[in-house]
Amino acid sequence: MVADSADTPVEQGTEYPPELARLPPGRHGLPREFVAHNQRERLIAGLAEAIAENGYAGTTIAHITRHAAVSRRTFYEHFSSKDECFVAAYDTVMAEMRERVGKAFAEEDDWPHAVKAGIAAMLGFLVAEPSLARLCMVEALVAGPVVVERYDSAIQSFVPYFRTGREGRSPDVLARLSATTEEALVGGMMSLISRRIIAGRTAELESLLPDLVEFTLTPYLGSDEAAKVAREG
Amino acid sequence: MESTCDQGTLTFVADNASTMRPPPGRHQLSKAFIAQHQRARIIAALAEETADKGYRAVIVADIVRRAGIARNTFYENFSSKEACFLAAAEFAATEALRRVVDAASKVDSWPARVDAGISAFLHYVASEPALARTCIVEALSAGPASVERYERSIQAFVPLFRMGRTVSRHGDKLPGTLEETIVGGIFWITYQGIIMGQTAQIEERAPELVEFALTPYLGGEAAKRIASKQD
Repeated sequence: MVADSADTPVEQGTEYPPELARLPPGRHGLPREFVAHNQRERLIAGLAEAIAENGYAGTTIAHITRHAAVSRRTFYEHFSSKDECFVAAYDTVMAEMRERVGKAFAEEDDWPHAVKAGIAAMLGFLVAEPSLARLCMVEALVAGPVVVERYDSAIQSFVPYFRTGREGRSPDVLARLSATTEEALVGGMMSLISRRIIAGRTAELESLLPDLVEFTLTPYLGSDEAAKVAREG
Repeated sequence: MESTCDQGTLTFVADNASTMRPPPGRHQLSKAFIAQHQRARIIAALAEETADKGYRAVIVADIVRRAGIARNTFYENFSSKEACFLAAAEFAATEALRRVVDAASKVDSWPARVDAGISAFLHYVASEPALARTCIVEALSAGPASVERYERSIQAFVPLFRMGRTVSRHGDKLPGTLEETIVGGIFWITYQGIIMGQTAQIEERAPELVEFALTPYLGGEAAKRIASKQD
C-alpha cells in the first residue's frame, strides 16, 4: 500500500476527517488507507480517479480537485500543472509496483520461481488497482515526453530481474543470448499487458501468468523446463 | 531495392517535394495524380514536423509550411491534425506490412520468412526515419484512435509468426499469447532504437531480433544458427 511510507502511517479504523468520508473506498479503485488525509496523496488519488473517468487529455484540474475534495489553491500548492501531478502519480504508483515485485522476487529460493512470483505480483497489483493500471500502463503513454521517458525507464528497471537468469548458465546458453534479450523480453511482456489494459481486459491479466513465465524463462532454461515452471501449481 | 519511382513511397515524394508542385495555370497532370501526391506530401510533412517537435507541439501551420501548400489545401485533404496523423499511421502500417509480406513470400521456409520479414521491416524503418518515429514512437501519444491503430498493426504481423507452430515440435502447446508478445518485443526494441537516435543502425538489430522470434519455436541453438546467417 502506498500509504505505508514512513511519514503517513494510517491504521485501519482511524477516524477520518469529514472530507475523506466523501471518497468511499472502491469507487476509485484505491483502498481507503491509501487515501490518507495527506493532501498530496489525495491529489494523486484524485488524478487517478479523474483519468479513469475522462482519460488523460479530457482531465482538467477541476476534475482532479473535485475528486480529491481539495481546493484549486491546494492543487497549486503542490503542483504547477496537470502534467506535474501526473508525473508524481506515476512515480508513486511505479514505486509501489516495484516494491511489490522486488519483495515477491526476493522471497523465492531459485531464480525461475522468483521470476514467476515477480510477474504474478505485478499482474496482481494491476488487477487489484485497475485505475492505477490504466494510469501507469496506458495513460502514461499519452501524457507527454517526460512521462514517456519515465515509462521507458520503468520498463528498463525490470531488466535486471531477467539478467540474473544468465548466472550459472552453460556457455552454450549464454552464446544464444544477445545484448538486448532481456529488453526484448520485458518489452514484449509489457506490450502485451498494456494492450490488454487498453482493450479493457484488465480483469484477465492474471490469466496471462503462465504464458508470460514460459515466454520469459525459455531463453534461459529451454522450453520444456520453462513450461514446467510456468504451468505448475 | 525499391524503385524510387514507386508512387507509394514517401521518400520519392519528400525528396521531390518542392519540384512536385505543379506549375500554376494549366495542369497537364490529372487531378487524381495531383491529389494523391498532395496527400502523400502532406503526410511526409507531418512526419517531418512530428519527428522534429513531437506530436503535441505540431500545429497545422507547421505542416502547411513544410509541405509548401496553402492552408486550404490541407483542409481539403484532412479535417484535422489528428486525421492527418491517422492517415500517416495507416499509410505506414499498410506499407510496412506489404513490404514484410513481399519479402517473406520470396523465400520458402518459415524461419527464412521470419528472417526476411524482420529485415524488410527494419529496412523500412531505417529508410523512413521521420515516418518511423511518427508511427512507432509518437503514435502512442497521439490519442486513443492512434493507440488503437498501433494495436492493430501489431496484430497484423501475428500471422507471420503463428505459422511457426506448424514447424515447431511444440506445436500448439506454445503459449497462446506468444506471437503477440514476440511482435510487441520487436516493436519495443525498434522503439528503443528510434528514441536513442539509432534509427540509421536499426538494421544491425535484425539477427538478434530474428533469434528472439525463432527461439520459442525452434530452440535457442537452431534460432541462433539461422539468425547469424545474416552476416
